[in-house]
Amino acid sequence: MRRMSACTSAALLLLLAAGCGDGSDIEVSGAWGRPVPAVAANGAFYMVISNKADTSDQLERVSSAACGAAELHESMMTDGVMSMSPVGAGGIEIRAGSEVVLEAGGLHVMCIDKQVDFVVGETYELTLEFAEAGSVVVDVEIREG
Amino acid sequence: MTESPISEEPAPSRPRFPWQYALVAVPLVIAGLVFWWGYNRAQPHQFSGAVIQSPTAAPDFTLSSDTGPVSLSDYRGKLVALYFGYTFCPDICPTTLQDVADAIEILDDGDATDVQLIFVTVDPARDTAERLGEYVRHFDESFLGVTGTEEEIGSVATLYGIYYRAGEGSEATGYLMEHTATLLVIDREGNLKEVIPFGVDSDGIAADLEYMLR
Repeated sequence: MRRMSACTSAALLLLLAAGCGDGSDIEVSGAWGRPVPAVAANGAFYMVISNKADTSDQLERVSSAACGAAELHESMMTDGVMSMSPVGAGGIEIRAGSEVVLEAGGLHVMCIDKQVDFVVGETYELTLEFAEAGSVVVDVEIREG
Repeated sequence: MTESPISEEPAPSRPRFPWQYALVAVPLVIAGLVFWWGYNRAQPHQFSGAVIQSPTAAPDFTLSSDTGPVSLSDYRGKLVALYFGYTFCPDICPTTLQDVADAIEILDDGDATDVQLIFVTVDPARDTAERLGEYVRHFDESFLGVTGTEEEIGSVATLYGIYYRAGEGSEATGYLMEHTATLLVIDREGNLKEVIPFGVDSDGIAADLEYMLR
């Protein structure tokens, strides 16, 4: 194998760097939602978001055709009392090389005014907007816990 | 007559199959297992929630469901699992109701019919009896959902030490309810027996229900 010249290596590196913003540094796994009753106004989506980049990133917005509106919320337990509130303006921070778990009783995507019945086996597209990585589209699978 | 030089050594004993050891070991093992099982069974059950030791009568109440009025006393003789929540809730309430439904699936059929879940809404403004009925029956056909006036809900919640309050949501959600998210278990005698916090899984809930049904 011929050794690459320094020029070629540099060019390759530049090309890789130019790939920033296409979401490739963000890995979303296990995106799922519980099958909630048809009469329920809202549902929740859970997933694990990994940031492979060496700078932190923020999940700022979410959207899905399956939801009238989709927002980031956090359930919190204080002295046995559960409350839930929308995540602040900065979104959810995911530190470099780290991950954030969206799960029952914690952070989650609130699917507000759901437009579809959440039936086990169905998948819906969810778009996640990151400050650095840009748009990432995932398939959320509806399944039992 | 000369004795033939018979070897003085005793006839080499054939290696006996250790039946004699088995005869001793097997009963010992069986005894050990029986003791271990009995010991475990005699241990106090490890509850997943807070147990109320002294008999505390669960206060009776009557609220409305889509199949008519529901009173706690209607279910004397069964275990009643009481949960205060609301149908607008995307995360905690569906998770808890699913956990209870899964727990009931784990129980034997006989036990399963002796557990009654009652979901009391803390959001009577949005939760009509019809909506509640459809909502809870998604998780299990036997579940009951009840509502009432703000005053009626308030007084039942107070009787059970359940806190709830409307909090600010977002423009898209409107108000969101904060509420004590515990599962209250009332035994067959009508005493409030256990308070199970959010996060106990269906296996934990099933174990506690099964113990209380003994």
